[in-house]
Amino acid sequence: MAAYILRRLGYSTFVLWGALTIVFASIRLAPGDPAQLMLGTDASAQDVAALRQRLGLDRPIPIQYGRYLLDALRLDFGSSLRLDQPALQAVAERLGATAQLAASAMLLAVLVSFPLGIWAALRPRSIVDGIVSVLSLLGQSVPGFWLGIMFILLFARQLRWLPSAGSESWLHLVLPAVTLALPLVGVLTRLVRSGLLDVLHEDYIRTARAKGLTPRSVVSRHALLNTLIPIITLIGLQLGHLLGGAVIVETVFAWPGVGRLLVEAITNRDYPLVQAAILMVTTGFILINFLVDLSYGYLDPRVRLR
Amino acid sequence: MVTRWWDDSSDRRPATSAPPSRPDRRKFLKLASSLLAVGSATGLAAACAPAATPASKPADAKPTEAAKAAAPAPTAAPAVQAAPATAAPKPAEVAKPAARVPSGEIKVLLPTKTTTLDPHGAQSVDTITFTATRHVMETLVNREADGRFVPNLAASWENPDPTTWIFKLRPDARFHDGAKVTAADFKASLERVIAAKGPQAPLWAAVDGIETPDEGTVRIVTKTPSGTLLASSTLLLIAPARASTEGFFAKPIGSGPFKVVSYREDADLRLEANTDYWGGPPGLQNMTFRYVPEVAARVTALETGEVDFTWQLPPDQLPALRRNPDLKIDEAPSYSYYFIWMNASRPPFTDAKVRRALAHALDVDTIAKDLLAGVGKRATAPIPESVFGYAPQTPYEYSPDKAKQLLAEAGQPNGFETSMIWNPNSGPQDRELVQAMLSYWAAIGVRVRSQELERAQWLDNLIKLDWDMDFQTNSVTTGDADFTLNRLYHSRANRNGYKNPELDKLLDEAGSSTDQQRRADLYAQANKIIWEEAPGIFPFELLGSYVYRKSLSGFVPPPSQTPSFNNVTVQR
Repeated sequence: MAAYILRRLGYSTFVLWGALTIVFASIRLAPGDPAQLMLGTDASAQDVAALRQRLGLDRPIPIQYGRYLLDALRLDFGSSLRLDQPALQAVAERLGATAQLAASAMLLAVLVSFPLGIWAALRPRSIVDGIVSVLSLLGQSVPGFWLGIMFILLFARQLRWLPSAGSESWLHLVLPAVTLALPLVGVLTRLVRSGLLDVLHEDYIRTARAKGLTPRSVVSRHALLNTLIPIITLIGLQLGHLLGGAVIVETVFAWPGVGRLLVEAITNRDYPLVQAAILMVTTGFILINFLVDLSYGYLDPRVRLR
Repeated sequence: MVTRWWDDSSDRRPATSAPPSRPDRRKFLKLASSLLAVGSATGLAAACAPAATPASKPADAKPTEAAKAAAPAPTAAPAVQAAPATAAPKPAEVAKPAARVPSGEIKVLLPTKTTTLDPHGAQSVDTITFTATRHVMETLVNREADGRFVPNLAASWENPDPTTWIFKLRPDARFHDGAKVTAADFKASLERVIAAKGPQAPLWAAVDGIETPDEGTVRIVTKTPSGTLLASSTLLLIAPARASTEGFFAKPIGSGPFKVVSYREDADLRLEANTDYWGGPPGLQNMTFRYVPEVAARVTALETGEVDFTWQLPPDQLPALRRNPDLKIDEAPSYSYYFIWMNASRPPFTDAKVRRALAHALDVDTIAKDLLAGVGKRATAPIPESVFGYAPQTPYEYSPDKAKQLLAEAGQPNGFETSMIWNPNSGPQDRELVQAMLSYWAAIGVRVRSQELERAQWLDNLIKLDWDMDFQTNSVTTGDADFTLNRLYHSRANRNGYKNPELDKLLDEAGSSTDQQRRADLYAQANKIIWEEAPGIFPFELLGSYVYRKSLSGFVPPPSQTPSFNNVTVQR
């Protein structure tokens, strides 16, 4: 186990280095000068040059890169060019809001999709199955920005049940979480249904039934547990994706998450902030994948042996 | 931080030459207001506040005027400040800030985000940053909607010779921590702006030295005469001298009517009333600034009452909001406008006839009516009409025939192909405007390719003069023609390829003269040259459309698009 974790750590370091390098290169390849953007159209060429020097942007790229990697080792990404604070701190502040939103959306999706998927799988080709399939397809295909705006118009403007946008109270969390959860419900429901359908035809299920177990126990302890590995994998991937990729929903609902921060940082060519945000998101992704891998061992003893 | 009211008033007594009854009245009002404040804590305010608010309203319309009346009249008032300093007394002038009890709370939706509360650096001419911070910190001088300069932290000023400006500070202004606002604080703030080399720094380029002969006096010496110094002063917010310390602007203090409760760039900015404010407490107890990017969410929040105030909404949202009985829309002229530049250093735009042809090709009135209803109107000069130095010009008549004839005279009878750079989110309806203009130009044979660029890249191309045409909004932030014309049309700026020594001379003199009438005349000539030589087409000026709930009163729309809520009250 220790060797396994060590090996994983080695991979993770490599992935982190790759991410840091790619983001360093790509944001510098993009046209546009952060100093010019900061000073606006009114600044003189000398002022822009002076700012470039102060920000260290005038140094040769390899030297900038070396410094950047050394600083990254100490978790020092420098100060954000736009915000009055260290880049990493700005990202860390946002990470809480992002984690809250991602976790709520995922929890909601799991709570809804498991019962739906099981229900549909136990009655294949019935009306229930049909309705669940159509709904989950819809959930997957409706674009988030449209859904978000429709939710605002319906629940905030027409019915006035929920606030429209912001992050003051837990009520503000409801609409963005539901908007993010719906496509997840779509994917997860289908996965639960098809996984369970496959397993339900296995011999050991018949055995379990034959030895007189209740259908409830057969499904939950024998069938469902064996379908979990692909589902956990998907949950992990989606959670990782939510860390940095919920930009649209965050924008629609003015939710102060990392995704929106990252997009704004890219627009402003805020190099330190982009780099810090990417590092955090990548680390989150790696961590979640690591947990997912560990869970395999727990769910399937055969994995543990390897 | 609470300043004890007896300390506060005894401090003021010797400093002002006010009639003897004044401190006593002040003391009484202070006492009354603190009693009311206690009342509000116990729930009595619900009964008291509505009675107190209307009574106090006329008095705070011009709190600053009271100080001016009390301050010693400047000697040898030259022409420049004759207008502000000897302005006819208004009825409100004699009244003093009354015992207004701040009550209620409003939430304001900002049209774009504040990334910092530091008004001295990279965001030092940003209207949104200014809107947020002007409630916390204050300027020496304010500018009224009619263009007059009125005292704010400076009780008076004089311009004894063309390169010297002397400001006398109010003796009773205090920062939120109780410290007096002194000349040293002003000096530190101005030095901070200059050292930051942000967009406000060029406005102070003429400054040679800042002297502080005593704690209530600032003397600014300029290298060359500077006719724009007062206009620039309306942008410089004064923070305590210790503002340079790390982290100060995370929760800044100033001398303004509101104190910062909390701020994070991704969340709300919360302010509360500064009951010790020298101009009398503001009308609101609490104020929240918030940013919501999505238009549907912004409009919904207004309609449901989650927020009370916003501005710069897209014009297609306005009709529905107009029908809402709970909402009010104030339209007012602004310092912002749209322009199209044609790179005069690149053929065929080197020929003024070609540039004029493109102006004649646009049916400006129709476009304004169809696309900018409620947010814009036809422009009549290279700068908006509320700006100092504006002079109306003869409009370019919409005439495709005339345009084609001009093209033929310029040797382009069949038109030509070119391209126009622009960046989305520059102003309202930008995409629609580009499409409309492109089709008008196509009608005279000029095929313009739309080059929509991300802001970073657009700015890069713009500065490098690497474009044929450019379409954008601009704002004359200081409200003075100098800010836009000298910066954009002087040969040394070389921003659009147009060079004209005659124009340079006019602009140089207009920028340095301290005789405002002379400046106005010079800018009138500059307006005419720029309009007729047409390095740019100036189709529309923008209106500020402020949408707010009818429960708010006391709001006056400013042309600078930086609304102030100091005198706004709310009835609930």
